[in-house]
Amino acid sequence: MLRAHKLAAGEVESHPGANECSQVAGPRLTRETLDMWTSSHPLTRRALLAGSAALPLAPVRAEPVIVASKIDTEGALIGEMILALLEAAGIPARNRLQLGPTRILRAAILSGAIDLYPEYTGNAAFFFAMDGDPVWKDARAGYERARALDLQRSDLVWLKPAPADNSWVLAMRADFADAHRLATLDDFARWTREGGAVKLAASAEFVESRSGLPAFQETYGFSLSARQLLVLSGGNTSATIKAAADGISGVNAAMAYGTDGALAALGLRALEDTKHAQPVYAPAPVARGLIVQSYPQMAAVLAPAFQTLDVQVLRRLNEQIAIEGREARLVARTYLREHGLLA
Amino acid sequence: MSTASLADARRGLRIHVADRVAFALALPAIAAAIFAGFLSIAPNRLADGRPLALWQLGALDSAIAFGLLILLFAAAFIRDETWRSKLLFVAGAGLLIAILLTAGATAYGHLDPREPARRISLGSAFWILSAVGSLACFQSLQRVSRTAKILAPLALAAAVAAIAASDALDALSLTREFHAQRATFASELARHVGLVAFAILLACLCAVPLTLAAVYRENARATIFTTLNLLQTIPSIALFGVLIAPLSFLGAQVPLANKIGIGGIGAAPAIIALVLYALLPLVRSADAGLRNVPADVRESARGMGMTPRQIFWRVDLPLALPALISGLRVATVQSIGLAVVAALIGAGGLGTFVFQGIGEYALDLVLVGTLPTIALAVSADALFQIVLANLRCRP
Repeated sequence: MLRAHKLAAGEVESHPGANECSQVAGPRLTRETLDMWTSSHPLTRRALLAGSAALPLAPVRAEPVIVASKIDTEGALIGEMILALLEAAGIPARNRLQLGPTRILRAAILSGAIDLYPEYTGNAAFFFAMDGDPVWKDARAGYERARALDLQRSDLVWLKPAPADNSWVLAMRADFADAHRLATLDDFARWTREGGAVKLAASAEFVESRSGLPAFQETYGFSLSARQLLVLSGGNTSATIKAAADGISGVNAAMAYGTDGALAALGLRALEDTKHAQPVYAPAPVARGLIVQSYPQMAAVLAPAFQTLDVQVLRRLNEQIAIEGREARLVARTYLREHGLLA
Repeated sequence: MSTASLADARRGLRIHVADRVAFALALPAIAAAIFAGFLSIAPNRLADGRPLALWQLGALDSAIAFGLLILLFAAAFIRDETWRSKLLFVAGAGLLIAILLTAGATAYGHLDPREPARRISLGSAFWILSAVGSLACFQSLQRVSRTAKILAPLALAAAVAAIAASDALDALSLTREFHAQRATFASELARHVGLVAFAILLACLCAVPLTLAAVYRENARATIFTTLNLLQTIPSIALFGVLIAPLSFLGAQVPLANKIGIGGIGAAPAIIALVLYALLPLVRSADAGLRNVPADVRESARGMGMTPRQIFWRVDLPLALPALISGLRVATVQSIGLAVVAALIGAGGLGTFVFQGIGEYALDLVLVGTLPTIALAVSADALFQIVLANLRCRP
């Protein structure tokens, strides 16, 4: 499961040296292009409408809310929930789920190509280049900061977050952890210092990023040598989890995400981060200010469901999608119905 | 006994391989059927599966499959061409249909209500046998009439499609992944085709002035081809990425651009990148086609009193048409493949399933994206081949 909540290493990078390319085919050529499949492109019809009626306090907005998500399991799950809730509340919505990685989603909502998508509070640290700030380690304060910054700078509204934390975790095989009495990262650090044979599978970004492995090592006082690391390029935790579960290349610990559904299914257990070395990554719907004005009831429609999404719930639902292979749409709707959140 | 008659006798005794392609196809197919996994049974979507070889399946199923393989092998030795191609087609098409039905039926047999997460996936032997089956069919159509060349693959494709559309394969993991995506599959497929079709249309429009300049303006020629060659060397993911920044800027600065949907992500950068890649095959082949019009043909046209405009429309263009269509064929097939990467910049298309599947380590979901892409590319290619064949046959 790729939780693209960090800017994954494989993401599209734009480099400034090659801007000439854009001038070869003029932008005007694409006008007809886009008109031809207006149905699939969000901006065209809306733009025509917006030309006449997009004053800040436009009365009734018949255009649907374009709901997007990151291209991962949890994005699909939470996105489907949002779609179901909006539809049930009579707010027209259009499905653009699994649109792409974080950077693309952020660019899309800033440019108005999408209206709403679930984002993680800890990512605001990256959006505003403030990853050294301790505020992100506090769920409430981090959310308030993200909300204030985005409202002020980009007219984006962070709606009520879920009480879950999808940060990086270290996971080990449950039987191995039991045998060596490893429950928390303190235990892990002690065991490593005493010469425990750790081999950790992790993404390059986790190993290098300041809030990744270095933060864990600093907080808990241990250090892993290059030989104790199996570094993979992408941010894909399916591969790391599988390596630890099957002991591929001697790996016995894996980088994973807090709400990974695969952990339990493959017999792994996340070690508890008792000292909070990680920023909190709580999922919250982020919407354009304009759309929240058009549908002021939106916050109240989404909040009750988000309130129920804690780590256990998300892990279980993610597992149903990623491991059991059930449809995200069904899993989301079944959950909402079972909890009386959807008629 | 003279040496000549001895050689004759030896030649008569030696077993003669009449069709080397069929022979080369049959051997790896038989090896795969014996040694490789035909199906793989995993406890869930992420865990590794236990392989099941073809001979480990039901006795009747494996007897039919191995019988068809032996038939394929035998066909390689038949000297009579008509009989050989008939047998080859029957063995190839039969193999394709037999393994599909066998895989589907066996998968049903391994379903377990106590283990709802269990996944039955197609193994490497299945893919090798289906490739061998299809290749044997195409090999058998080498020397048949043009109608048969079109009708036989169509009939086979229809049979495979009918099996896929029925519930015969529903127990397979691949089908389950497809069903999980069916809400968006049609729209992503349409988006993919739309991206490619529009990019090709735009590329054709851009290629016209570029080709004319390259053919009739000697000093522009080098610049055009250097630029197009350079563009072709940029890796697709880099080109998609490079377009994000300037288009975002354009979308943000020019209200009109934003209104018509031009921004850093979505269809606009994808189409521009696809157009840039399609230009080289289009312009290069058009240029070659126009330059290869024999000078004496042009000369006689002029002798008949044609104006330069008439020469272009009535002589140059018709003679260059096969080259133009060839360029279009290369550009289209290439764009269908490249458009997969466009999913990474939010343009959607079949790549959505590919990248989603890679992220979830769900290889069957990757196939939900790749198999239709392959089918699209192969059908586009076949379509252009038919057009080309018809052009060449015309007097």
